[in-house]
Amino acid sequence: MSRWNNAKLVVFALAAGACVQAAAQTAKPLYPGVGRAATNAEIAAWDIDVRGDLKGLPPGSGSVSRGETLWEAKCTSCHGSFGESNQMFPPLIGGITPEDIKTGRVAALAKGGEQRTTVMKLSRISTLWDYINRAMPWNAPKTLTADEVYALTAYLLNQGNIVPDSFVLSDKNMAEVQARLPNRNGLTRDHGLWDTRGKPDVSAKACMKNCGPEPRITSSLPDHARGSHGDFVEQNRLFGPVRAVSLSGGAAVAAVTPPAAAPAADPAQALAVKAGCMACHTAKQRGIGPAFAEIAAKYRADSGAENKLMAKVKSGGQGVWGNIPMPPFANLQEQDLRTLVRWILKTE
Amino acid sequence: MADPMRIRATARDGAVNVKVLMSHEMETGQRKDASGKLVPAHYIRSVTATHQGKTVLTAQWGPAVSKNPYLEFDFKGGQKGDKVVVTWEDNKGEKRSDEGVIN
Repeated sequence: MSRWNNAKLVVFALAAGACVQAAAQTAKPLYPGVGRAATNAEIAAWDIDVRGDLKGLPPGSGSVSRGETLWEAKCTSCHGSFGESNQMFPPLIGGITPEDIKTGRVAALAKGGEQRTTVMKLSRISTLWDYINRAMPWNAPKTLTADEVYALTAYLLNQGNIVPDSFVLSDKNMAEVQARLPNRNGLTRDHGLWDTRGKPDVSAKACMKNCGPEPRITSSLPDHARGSHGDFVEQNRLFGPVRAVSLSGGAAVAAVTPPAAAPAADPAQALAVKAGCMACHTAKQRGIGPAFAEIAAKYRADSGAENKLMAKVKSGGQGVWGNIPMPPFANLQEQDLRTLVRWILKTE
Repeated sequence: MADPMRIRATARDGAVNVKVLMSHEMETGQRKDASGKLVPAHYIRSVTATHQGKTVLTAQWGPAVSKNPYLEFDFKGGQKGDKVVVTWEDNKGEKRSDEGVIN
Protein backbone atom coordinates (compact mmCIF):
# COMPACT_ATOMS: atom_id res chain seq x y z
CA MET A 1 0.00 0.00 0.00
CA SER A 2 2.71 2.40 0.97
CA ARG A 3 4.49 1.75 -2.30
CA TRP A 4 1.38 2.73 -4.18
CA ASN A 5 1.02 5.92 -2.22
CA ASN A 6 4.64 6.80 -2.86
CA ALA A 7 4.22 6.19 -6.56
CA LYS A 8 1.25 8.52 -6.67
CA LEU A 9 3.16 11.15 -4.75
CA VAL A 10 6.04 11.02 -7.20
CA VAL A 11 3.75 11.40 -10.18
CA PHE A 12 1.99 14.28 -8.51
CA ALA A 13 5.28 15.88 -7.62
CA LEU A 14 6.44 15.54 -11.22
CA ALA A 15 3.36 17.19 -12.59
CA ALA A 16 3.61 19.89 -10.02
CA GLY A 17 7.30 20.27 -10.76
CA ALA A 18 6.54 21.06 -14.37
CA CYS A 19 4.14 23.77 -13.19
CA VAL A 20 6.72 25.27 -10.89
CA GLN A 21 9.29 25.39 -13.66
CA ALA A 22 6.82 26.98 -16.00
CA ALA A 23 5.93 29.40 -13.23
CA ALA A 24 9.55 30.36 -12.76
CA GLN A 25 9.72 31.34 -16.40
CA THR A 26 6.46 33.22 -16.64
CA ALA A 27 6.44 34.39 -13.00
CA LYS A 28 2.76 33.57 -12.93
CA PRO A 29 2.08 30.19 -11.26
CA LEU A 30 -0.95 28.35 -12.56
CA TYR A 31 -1.68 26.81 -9.17
CA PRO A 32 0.18 28.91 -6.59
CA GLY A 33 1.12 27.10 -3.42
CA VAL A 34 0.41 23.64 -4.82
CA GLY A 35 3.18 21.01 -5.04
CA ARG A 36 6.92 21.37 -5.43
CA ALA A 37 9.52 20.40 -7.97
CA ALA A 38 10.48 16.72 -7.96
CA THR A 39 13.92 16.05 -6.57
CA ASN A 40 16.56 14.40 -8.74
CA ALA A 41 16.33 11.25 -6.60
CA GLU A 42 12.59 11.06 -7.16
CA ILE A 43 13.00 11.42 -10.89
CA ALA A 44 15.77 8.81 -10.94
CA ALA A 45 13.56 6.32 -9.08
CA TRP A 46 10.80 6.84 -11.58
CA ASP A 47 12.89 7.01 -14.75
CA ILE A 48 13.86 3.35 -15.18
CA ASP A 49 12.97 2.69 -18.80
CA VAL A 50 15.49 1.18 -21.19
CA ARG A 51 15.08 2.24 -24.77
CA GLY A 52 15.48 0.18 -27.91
CA ASP A 53 18.84 1.84 -28.53
CA LEU A 54 19.83 0.71 -25.00
CA LYS A 55 19.79 4.21 -23.61
CA GLY A 56 18.85 4.10 -19.94
CA LEU A 57 20.59 0.78 -19.26
CA PRO A 58 22.31 0.89 -15.86
CA PRO A 59 25.87 -0.45 -15.50
CA GLY A 60 26.19 -4.00 -14.23
CA SER A 61 26.69 -7.59 -15.32
CA GLY A 62 25.46 -11.10 -14.66
CA SER A 63 26.51 -14.57 -15.75
CA VAL A 64 24.39 -17.41 -17.07
CA SER A 65 25.22 -19.59 -14.05
CA ARG A 66 24.23 -16.86 -11.59
CA GLY A 67 21.05 -16.45 -13.60
CA GLU A 68 20.38 -20.18 -13.34
CA THR A 69 20.53 -20.05 -9.54
CA LEU A 70 18.26 -17.01 -9.43
CA TRP A 71 15.91 -18.55 -11.93
CA GLU A 72 15.49 -21.70 -9.86
CA ALA A 73 14.77 -19.59 -6.80
CA LYS A 74 12.39 -16.98 -8.20
CA CYS A 75 11.09 -17.87 -11.65
CA THR A 76 10.72 -21.66 -11.96
CA SER A 77 7.37 -21.90 -10.23
CA CYS A 78 5.63 -20.02 -13.04
CA HIS A 79 7.93 -20.36 -16.08
CA GLY A 80 9.41 -23.84 -15.58
CA SER A 81 13.03 -24.77 -14.99
CA PHE A 82 14.03 -24.10 -18.58
CA GLY A 83 11.53 -21.35 -19.36
CA GLU A 84 9.58 -24.00 -21.26
CA SER A 85 6.48 -24.24 -19.06
CA ASN A 86 3.09 -23.71 -20.63
CA GLN A 87 1.13 -24.12 -17.42
CA MET A 88 0.89 -20.59 -16.05
CA PHE A 89 1.97 -18.44 -18.98
CA PRO A 90 2.91 -19.08 -22.60
CA PRO A 91 6.41 -20.55 -22.83
CA LEU A 92 9.34 -18.14 -22.85
CA ILE A 93 11.73 -20.46 -24.64
CA GLY A 94 11.44 -22.66 -27.69
CA GLY A 95 10.53 -22.56 -31.36
CA ILE A 96 13.75 -21.04 -32.70
CA THR A 97 16.49 -22.62 -34.80
CA PRO A 98 20.17 -21.73 -35.37
CA GLU A 99 19.08 -20.62 -38.84
CA ASP A 100 16.78 -17.99 -37.26
CA ILE A 101 19.72 -16.53 -35.34
CA LYS A 102 21.58 -16.14 -38.64
CA THR A 103 18.71 -14.55 -40.56
CA GLY A 104 17.21 -12.49 -37.75
CA ARG A 105 13.74 -13.62 -38.74
CA VAL A 106 12.03 -16.53 -37.00
CA ALA A 107 10.84 -18.87 -39.73
CA ALA A 108 8.20 -20.51 -37.53
CA LEU A 109 6.58 -17.11 -36.89
CA ALA A 110 6.38 -16.30 -40.58
CA LYS A 111 4.99 -19.74 -41.33
CA GLY A 112 2.49 -19.69 -38.48
CA GLY A 113 0.89 -22.62 -36.73
CA GLU A 114 3.61 -22.97 -34.08
CA GLN A 115 3.08 -21.91 -30.51
CA ARG A 116 4.67 -18.51 -30.09
CA THR A 117 7.22 -18.02 -27.36
CA THR A 118 8.77 -14.88 -25.94
CA VAL A 119 12.18 -15.64 -27.41
CA MET A 120 10.59 -16.14 -30.84
CA LYS A 121 8.86 -12.77 -30.82
CA LEU A 122 11.49 -10.66 -29.10
CA SER A 123 12.98 -8.13 -31.50
CA ARG A 124 14.72 -5.83 -29.00
CA ILE A 125 16.82 -7.13 -26.13
CA SER A 126 15.98 -3.97 -24.19
CA THR A 127 12.36 -5.12 -24.02
CA LEU A 128 13.29 -8.31 -22.20
CA TRP A 129 15.66 -6.54 -19.80
CA ASP A 130 13.23 -3.72 -19.08
CA TYR A 131 10.30 -6.07 -18.54
CA ILE A 132 12.16 -8.26 -16.06
CA ASN A 133 13.46 -5.15 -14.34
CA ARG A 134 10.12 -3.44 -13.88
CA ALA A 135 7.65 -6.28 -13.60
CA MET A 136 9.33 -9.44 -12.33
CA PRO A 137 8.95 -11.46 -10.18
CA TRP A 138 5.24 -11.01 -10.42
CA ASN A 139 4.68 -11.15 -6.68
CA ALA A 140 7.52 -8.69 -5.95
CA PRO A 141 8.27 -6.44 -8.91
CA LYS A 142 11.27 -4.08 -8.82
CA THR A 143 13.02 -6.15 -6.16
CA LEU A 144 15.78 -7.38 -8.47
CA THR A 145 19.09 -5.55 -8.60
CA ALA A 146 20.49 -4.51 -11.97
CA ASP A 147 23.08 -7.33 -11.80
CA GLU A 148 20.33 -9.86 -11.11
CA VAL A 149 18.35 -8.64 -14.11
CA TYR A 150 21.47 -9.02 -16.28
CA ALA A 151 21.96 -12.55 -14.93
CA LEU A 152 18.35 -13.59 -15.55
CA THR A 153 18.40 -12.12 -19.03
CA ALA A 154 21.64 -13.99 -19.73
CA TYR A 155 20.08 -17.24 -18.48
CA LEU A 156 17.04 -16.86 -20.74
CA LEU A 157 19.25 -16.06 -23.73
CA ASN A 158 21.30 -19.15 -22.94
CA GLN A 159 18.18 -21.33 -22.77
CA GLY A 160 17.29 -20.01 -26.19
CA ASN A 161 20.76 -21.04 -27.47
CA ILE A 162 21.52 -17.42 -28.27
CA VAL A 163 24.52 -17.14 -25.94
CA PRO A 164 26.91 -19.89 -24.67
CA ASP A 165 26.89 -21.35 -21.13
CA SER A 166 29.89 -19.29 -20.04
CA PHE A 167 28.41 -15.99 -21.16
CA VAL A 168 28.42 -12.92 -18.93
CA LEU A 169 25.91 -10.28 -19.96
CA SER A 170 26.60 -6.65 -19.14
CA ASP A 171 25.67 -3.16 -20.26
CA LYS A 172 28.77 -3.31 -22.51
CA ASN A 173 27.73 -6.31 -24.60
CA MET A 174 23.95 -5.94 -24.77
CA ALA A 175 24.32 -4.52 -28.29
CA GLU A 176 26.23 -7.63 -29.40
CA VAL A 177 23.41 -9.80 -28.10
CA GLN A 178 20.89 -7.62 -29.91
CA ALA A 179 22.70 -8.49 -33.14
CA ARG A 180 22.08 -12.19 -32.43
CA LEU A 181 18.39 -12.05 -31.50
CA PRO A 182 16.45 -14.53 -33.63
CA ASN A 183 13.67 -12.08 -34.44
CA ARG A 184 15.72 -8.86 -34.63
CA ASN A 185 14.54 -8.26 -38.20
CA GLY A 186 11.02 -9.39 -37.50
CA LEU A 187 9.57 -6.09 -36.38
CA THR A 188 7.19 -4.72 -38.99
CA ARG A 189 4.79 -1.84 -38.93
CA ASP A 190 3.29 -2.51 -42.33
CA HIS A 191 0.64 -4.97 -41.27
CA GLY A 192 -2.98 -5.01 -40.22
CA LEU A 193 -4.30 -5.26 -36.71
CA TRP A 194 -6.21 -8.35 -37.80
CA ASP A 195 -5.23 -10.91 -40.39
CA THR A 196 -5.42 -8.86 -43.55
CA ARG A 197 -3.12 -11.08 -45.62
CA GLY A 198 -0.02 -9.08 -44.93
CA LYS A 199 -1.55 -5.75 -45.88
CA PRO A 200 -2.17 -2.90 -43.46
CA ASP A 201 -5.84 -2.33 -42.70
CA VAL A 202 -5.24 1.40 -42.68
CA SER A 203 -2.99 2.86 -45.34
CA ALA A 204 -3.64 6.57 -45.44
CA LYS A 205 -0.86 8.53 -47.07
CA ALA A 206 -0.65 12.29 -47.26
CA CYS A 207 -1.34 13.21 -50.88
CA MET A 208 0.61 16.15 -52.24
CA LYS A 209 -0.44 16.29 -55.91
CA ASN A 210 -2.98 14.82 -58.33
CA CYS A 211 -5.13 13.80 -55.40
CA GLY A 212 -8.35 12.99 -57.18
CA PRO A 213 -11.53 15.07 -57.22
CA GLU A 214 -11.85 18.04 -54.88
CA PRO A 215 -14.01 17.17 -51.89
CA ARG A 216 -17.49 18.62 -52.17
CA ILE A 217 -19.03 20.18 -49.07
CA THR A 218 -22.56 18.84 -48.79
CA SER A 219 -23.66 20.34 -45.49
CA SER A 220 -22.60 23.04 -43.10
CA LEU A 221 -23.67 24.60 -39.83
CA PRO A 222 -26.57 27.05 -40.35
CA ASP A 223 -25.71 30.67 -39.60
CA HIS A 224 -27.98 30.92 -36.58
CA ALA A 225 -26.21 27.99 -34.94
CA ARG A 226 -22.69 29.27 -35.41
CA GLY A 227 -21.26 30.59 -32.22
CA SER A 228 -23.63 28.68 -29.98
CA HIS A 229 -20.59 26.83 -28.62
CA GLY A 230 -18.14 29.69 -28.78
CA ASP A 231 -15.53 30.32 -31.45
CA PHE A 232 -14.38 26.93 -32.75
CA VAL A 233 -11.16 28.44 -34.05
CA GLU A 234 -10.03 28.98 -30.48
CA GLN A 235 -11.01 25.46 -29.51
CA ASN A 236 -9.32 23.74 -32.43
CA ARG A 237 -6.21 21.71 -31.88
CA LEU A 238 -3.19 23.17 -33.61
CA PHE A 239 -2.42 19.95 -35.46
CA GLY A 240 -4.51 17.61 -37.57
CA PRO A 241 -6.65 18.31 -40.58
CA VAL A 242 -9.68 19.86 -38.84
CA ARG A 243 -9.96 23.64 -39.18
CA ALA A 244 -12.88 25.63 -37.87
CA VAL A 245 -14.37 28.62 -39.64
CA SER A 246 -13.70 31.84 -37.79
CA LEU A 247 -16.73 33.58 -36.34
CA SER A 248 -15.20 37.03 -36.72
CA GLY A 249 -15.50 37.11 -40.47
CA GLY A 250 -12.30 36.19 -42.22
CA ALA A 251 -12.18 33.62 -44.95
CA ALA A 252 -15.32 31.82 -43.99
CA VAL A 253 -16.33 28.88 -46.07
CA ALA A 254 -19.34 29.80 -48.16
CA ALA A 255 -22.39 28.25 -46.62
CA VAL A 256 -23.61 25.47 -48.78
CA THR A 257 -27.29 24.71 -48.80
CA PRO A 258 -27.77 20.98 -48.75
CA PRO A 259 -29.40 19.76 -51.93
CA ALA A 260 -33.13 19.32 -51.40
CA ALA A 261 -34.23 15.74 -51.58
CA ALA A 262 -35.66 15.00 -54.99
CA PRO A 263 -39.43 14.74 -54.66
CA ALA A 264 -40.63 11.17 -54.95
CA ALA A 265 -42.23 10.48 -58.27
CA ASP A 266 -45.09 8.69 -56.67
CA PRO A 267 -46.68 9.38 -53.26
CA ALA A 268 -47.05 5.64 -52.78
CA GLN A 269 -43.32 5.20 -53.35
CA ALA A 270 -42.63 7.91 -50.81
CA LEU A 271 -44.89 6.03 -48.44
CA ALA A 272 -42.95 2.81 -49.05
CA VAL A 273 -39.68 4.60 -48.28
CA LYS A 274 -41.14 6.16 -45.16
CA ALA A 275 -42.64 2.90 -43.89
CA GLY A 276 -39.31 1.13 -44.34
CA CYS A 277 -40.37 -1.32 -47.05
CA MET A 278 -37.36 -0.42 -49.17
CA ALA A 279 -34.94 -1.72 -46.55
CA CYS A 280 -35.70 -5.25 -47.74
CA HIS A 281 -37.62 -4.87 -51.01
CA THR A 282 -36.94 -3.23 -54.35
CA ALA A 283 -39.08 -2.92 -57.42
CA LYS A 284 -37.27 -5.29 -59.73
CA GLN A 285 -34.51 -7.11 -57.89
CA ARG A 286 -35.00 -9.72 -55.20
CA GLY A 287 -33.09 -8.73 -52.11
CA ILE A 288 -33.81 -9.83 -48.57
CA GLY A 289 -37.45 -9.98 -49.55
CA PRO A 290 -39.06 -10.59 -52.93
CA ALA A 291 -39.13 -7.87 -55.59
CA PHE A 292 -42.44 -6.00 -55.92
CA ALA A 293 -42.58 -7.12 -59.54
CA GLU A 294 -42.43 -10.75 -58.42
CA ILE A 295 -45.27 -10.21 -55.96
CA ALA A 296 -47.34 -8.45 -58.59
CA ALA A 297 -46.79 -11.29 -61.06
CA LYS A 298 -47.74 -13.93 -58.50
CA TYR A 299 -51.03 -12.30 -57.51
CA ARG A 300 -52.02 -10.78 -60.85
CA ALA A 301 -54.87 -13.26 -61.40
CA ASP A 302 -55.97 -13.27 -57.75
CA SER A 303 -58.89 -10.91 -57.18
CA GLY A 304 -58.62 -11.20 -53.36
CA ALA A 305 -54.92 -10.40 -53.38
CA GLU A 306 -55.35 -6.87 -52.13
CA ASN A 307 -56.94 -7.84 -48.82
CA LYS A 308 -54.71 -10.87 -48.44
CA LEU A 309 -51.55 -8.83 -48.85
CA MET A 310 -52.81 -6.06 -46.59
CA ALA A 311 -53.28 -8.63 -43.81
CA LYS A 312 -49.83 -10.02 -44.54
CA VAL A 313 -48.09 -6.67 -44.32
CA LYS A 314 -49.95 -5.85 -41.12
CA SER A 315 -49.17 -9.08 -39.30
CA GLY A 316 -45.98 -10.22 -41.01
CA GLY A 317 -45.33 -13.59 -42.57
CA GLN A 318 -42.82 -16.20 -43.52
CA GLY A 319 -42.45 -19.09 -45.92
CA VAL A 320 -44.00 -17.81 -49.13
CA TRP A 321 -40.75 -16.40 -50.51
CA GLY A 322 -38.22 -18.16 -48.34
CA ASN A 323 -37.23 -18.53 -44.74
CA ILE A 324 -36.46 -14.92 -43.92
CA PRO A 325 -39.55 -13.65 -42.06
CA MET A 326 -41.27 -10.39 -42.88
CA PRO A 327 -41.81 -8.38 -39.70
CA PRO A 328 -45.35 -7.14 -38.93
CA PHE A 329 -46.12 -3.50 -39.80
CA ALA A 330 -49.05 -3.07 -37.44
CA ASN A 331 -48.63 0.70 -37.19
CA LEU A 332 -49.59 1.46 -40.79
CA GLN A 333 -52.90 3.19 -41.31
CA GLU A 334 -55.50 1.21 -43.19
CA GLN A 335 -55.53 3.75 -45.98
CA ASP A 336 -51.78 3.87 -46.36
CA LEU A 337 -51.68 0.10 -46.34
CA ARG A 338 -54.18 -0.05 -49.18
CA THR A 339 -52.24 2.55 -51.15
CA LEU A 340 -49.03 0.59 -50.68
CA VAL A 341 -50.47 -2.79 -51.64
CA ARG A 342 -52.21 -1.37 -54.69
CA TRP A 343 -48.96 0.28 -55.71
CA ILE A 344 -47.04 -2.96 -55.23
CA LEU A 345 -49.53 -4.95 -57.23
CA LYS A 346 -49.24 -2.48 -60.08
CA THR A 347 -45.46 -2.97 -60.31
CA GLU A 348 -44.38 -4.27 -63.69
CA MET B 1 20.57 -35.23 -35.14
CA ALA B 2 18.21 -33.82 -32.61
CA ASP B 3 19.14 -30.84 -30.46
CA PRO B 4 20.79 -31.60 -27.10
CA MET B 5 18.69 -32.16 -24.02
CA ARG B 6 18.84 -29.75 -21.15
CA ILE B 7 19.59 -31.59 -17.93
CA ARG B 8 19.73 -30.12 -14.46
CA ALA B 9 20.53 -32.40 -11.54
CA THR B 10 20.63 -31.08 -7.99
CA ALA B 11 21.37 -32.99 -4.78
CA ARG B 12 19.06 -32.15 -1.92
CA ASP B 13 17.85 -33.93 1.20
CA GLY B 14 19.81 -37.10 0.40
CA ALA B 15 18.27 -37.51 -3.03
CA VAL B 16 19.08 -36.15 -6.46
CA ASN B 17 16.45 -34.20 -8.34
CA VAL B 18 16.80 -34.43 -12.11
CA LYS B 19 15.00 -32.19 -14.59
CA VAL B 20 15.26 -32.93 -18.28
CA LEU B 21 13.96 -30.99 -21.26
CA MET B 22 14.14 -32.99 -24.48
CA SER B 23 13.91 -31.50 -27.91
CA HIS B 24 11.70 -33.73 -30.04
CA GLU B 25 8.81 -33.30 -32.46
CA MET B 26 6.71 -36.10 -30.89
CA GLU B 27 4.47 -36.52 -33.93
CA THR B 28 1.54 -38.76 -33.13
CA GLY B 29 0.95 -39.99 -36.66
CA GLN B 30 -2.65 -38.75 -36.43
CA ARG B 31 -2.05 -35.23 -37.62
CA LYS B 32 -2.50 -34.07 -41.21
CA ASP B 33 -0.40 -31.43 -42.91
CA ALA B 34 -1.70 -28.53 -44.99
CA SER B 35 -2.10 -30.72 -48.09
CA GLY B 36 -4.15 -33.27 -46.13
CA LYS B 37 -1.49 -35.97 -45.94
CA LEU B 38 -0.84 -37.74 -42.66
CA VAL B 39 2.30 -36.57 -40.90
CA PRO B 40 4.22 -39.79 -40.15
CA ALA B 41 4.52 -40.77 -36.51
CA HIS B 42 7.79 -39.76 -34.88
CA TYR B 43 7.96 -40.06 -31.14
CA ILE B 44 10.27 -41.13 -28.32
CA ARG B 45 9.73 -44.74 -27.42
CA SER B 46 12.06 -45.30 -24.51
CA VAL B 47 13.93 -43.15 -22.02
CA THR B 48 16.74 -44.38 -19.80
CA ALA B 49 18.61 -42.51 -17.09
CA THR B 50 21.81 -43.86 -15.58
CA HIS B 51 23.96 -42.72 -12.67
CA GLN B 52 27.57 -43.93 -12.67
CA GLY B 53 26.60 -46.70 -15.11
CA LYS B 54 23.67 -47.91 -13.00
CA THR B 55 20.20 -47.47 -14.43
CA VAL B 56 18.04 -45.31 -12.18
CA LEU B 57 15.03 -44.81 -14.46
CA THR B 58 13.52 -46.43 -17.51
CA ALA B 59 10.34 -45.30 -19.21
CA GLN B 60 8.34 -46.46 -22.17
CA TRP B 61 6.71 -43.55 -23.94
CA GLY B 62 4.21 -43.28 -26.74
CA PRO B 63 2.59 -40.72 -29.00
CA ALA B 64 0.55 -39.24 -26.13
CA VAL B 65 3.59 -37.41 -24.75
CA SER B 66 3.78 -33.75 -25.77
CA LYS B 67 6.25 -32.08 -28.10
CA ASN B 68 9.58 -31.17 -26.44
CA PRO B 69 8.86 -33.32 -23.36
CA TYR B 70 9.80 -32.26 -19.87
CA LEU B 71 10.72 -34.97 -17.38
CA GLU B 72 11.49 -34.63 -13.71
CA PHE B 73 12.42 -37.43 -11.29
CA ASP B 74 14.30 -38.08 -8.04
CA PHE B 75 16.68 -40.91 -7.20
CA LYS B 76 18.68 -41.82 -4.13
CA GLY B 77 22.40 -42.35 -3.80
CA GLY B 78 23.86 -39.60 -5.97
CA GLN B 79 26.70 -37.34 -4.89
CA LYS B 80 27.63 -33.87 -5.99
CA GLY B 81 29.90 -33.99 -9.03
CA ASP B 82 28.53 -37.34 -10.23
CA LYS B 83 27.22 -37.60 -13.76
CA VAL B 84 23.68 -38.45 -14.78
CA VAL B 85 23.24 -39.68 -18.34
CA VAL B 86 19.83 -39.57 -20.01
CA THR B 87 19.18 -41.41 -23.27
CA TRP B 88 16.14 -41.54 -25.47
CA GLU B 89 15.36 -43.62 -28.54
CA ASP B 90 12.49 -42.89 -30.90
CA ASN B 91 10.40 -45.04 -33.22
CA LYS B 92 12.67 -44.26 -36.16
CA GLY B 93 15.64 -45.66 -34.27
CA GLU B 94 17.22 -42.25 -33.64
CA LYS B 95 19.03 -41.94 -30.33
CA ARG B 96 20.29 -39.10 -28.26
CA SER B 97 22.33 -39.21 -25.09
CA ASP B 98 23.28 -36.28 -22.89
CA GLU B 99 24.83 -35.95 -19.48
CA GLY B 100 24.45 -33.56 -16.61
CA VAL B 101 26.60 -33.04 -13.53
CA ILE B 102 24.95 -33.14 -10.12
CA ASN B 103 25.38 -29.95 -8.17
